Amino acid sequence: MADTINEATRKGFLVDTSRCIGCRSCQVACKQWNKLDADKTSNKGTFENPRDLTPDLYNRVRFVEKETSGEVTWRFLNERCMQCGDAGCMKVCPSPGALFRTKDGIVSYNKEKCISCKYCVSACPFNIPRYDANDKVSKCNLCQSRVEGGMTPACAKACPTEALKFGNRNDLIAKAKSAKKVIYGENVLNGLGVAYALEGPPEQYGLPANPSIPMSIFLWKDVIKPLGILGFWGSIGAMMLHYITIGPKKLEDDTTGKEADHE
Amino acid sequence: MSNYVERFSTSERILHWIVTCSFFILFLSGLGLYSRLFNGYFNLFGGGQNAILIHKAAGVLFFFTSLNMFLNHKKDVSTFDEDDKQWIEQRGGYLSRDETHFNIGKYNPGQKLFAIFIAVATLILGITGLFIWMPTFFPRWIVQLSLMLHGLMFAGSVMFVVMHIYLATIGNPGTIEAMLYGNIPKSWARKHHPKWYKEVTGESP
Repeated sequence: MADTINEATRKGFLVDTSRCIGCRSCQVACKQWNKLDADKTSNKGTFENPRDLTPDLYNRVRFVEKETSGEVTWRFLNERCMQCGDAGCMKVCPSPGALFRTKDGIVSYNKEKCISCKYCVSACPFNIPRYDANDKVSKCNLCQSRVEGGMTPACAKACPTEALKFGNRNDLIAKAKSAKKVIYGENVLNGLGVAYALEGPPEQYGLPANPSIPMSIFLWKDVIKPLGILGFWGSIGAMMLHYITIGPKKLEDDTTGKEADHE
Repeated sequence: MSNYVERFSTSERILHWIVTCSFFILFLSGLGLYSRLFNGYFNLFGGGQNAILIHKAAGVLFFFTSLNMFLNHKKDVSTFDEDDKQWIEQRGGYLSRDETHFNIGKYNPGQKLFAIFIAVATLILGITGLFIWMPTFFPRWIVQLSLMLHGLMFAGSVMFVVMHIYLATIGNPGTIEAMLYGNIPKSWARKHHPKWYKEVTGESP
């Protein structure tokens, strides 16, 4: 599989959650640039809105409210496709070119090549891909067209506090590390294109501590698939070998066999 | 006196070939979903999206006909007697050129095990197929497990089917006639299924 990333030029985000003020400019800018319709939403007594990603919502701010011994902590997490270095969606996608890696290391997609199997939905470690009304995959592709045109993604451009920082992934991570930030996503899954500087353990933000491609997906694609192909040709080979070494049970043999029965 | 005995009735034969056809449609339409290596097979159906549609339709047909076939022969294929034991111990005589004789009823243990395996595989493929059909309606772990099991049972079935085709054609010349015309020469029945031969003709094999 031609999924190679040039780490030196890989582009990505560093999301500094300590700077996020939950203004949702990123959500609005994304909708505007990508021409996405508004979603119907409902008031559930929290500022979080909408409550989940949709086919028309590629990124959103997750509001994490927590009360510990009378004190309330309020945390914001920009939730979107993480642009995994080892992407589960790309691993399972049966349609070449439907999900693909750009030269900047982004996991992008082509709706016209999507065959609506939804395997990517099951294989994503972060539960990101959504299917639109036409049954085609949709998710954040870091504004691939803007990035290739030398611009920053719409959400980063709109972010008033630089919580969303876009650029060369290595530089962003090095800078955050020198500022003594705790980085999430530096090395997991061959590095996430969207890395985070978190203020607490990832679980508090609803992120998996050790994200990985689901075990059954790994077994399916990396173990069963090659063994199955081997087994298919192996069984054909075994049958041919049986035919030329031991040979068929010919009917004519029976007449002689029948005489022998009368012993 | 006829030299033939009836092995499979017309309805049994039709059912078998419906199962066969749906299996191969499933096989060809599923190859591209199994691996990107086989993407070209999607062209047989006019693209991946059509292949998935046809895979689903053929899957429903296969599920019910295959299970129906098993249930029709449930009693015959799920009981093993002493003679079957001997057949299993000597691997049906398939691993040697020496002449072997087993007192086998309508089906030998190999055929019985094949029938049971395909029935189990049909159930698992059908149930997991339903989860994969509508992945967003079910918990993610169920769909993930289903994708794995679906691939596993597919790979297993294909290997068993290769063996089934070999043993029913060139491996045992004359056998295919039972599934094509339904009648089989008495000499064949005497050789391969002597106990069954005695049951249906009353003659000693």
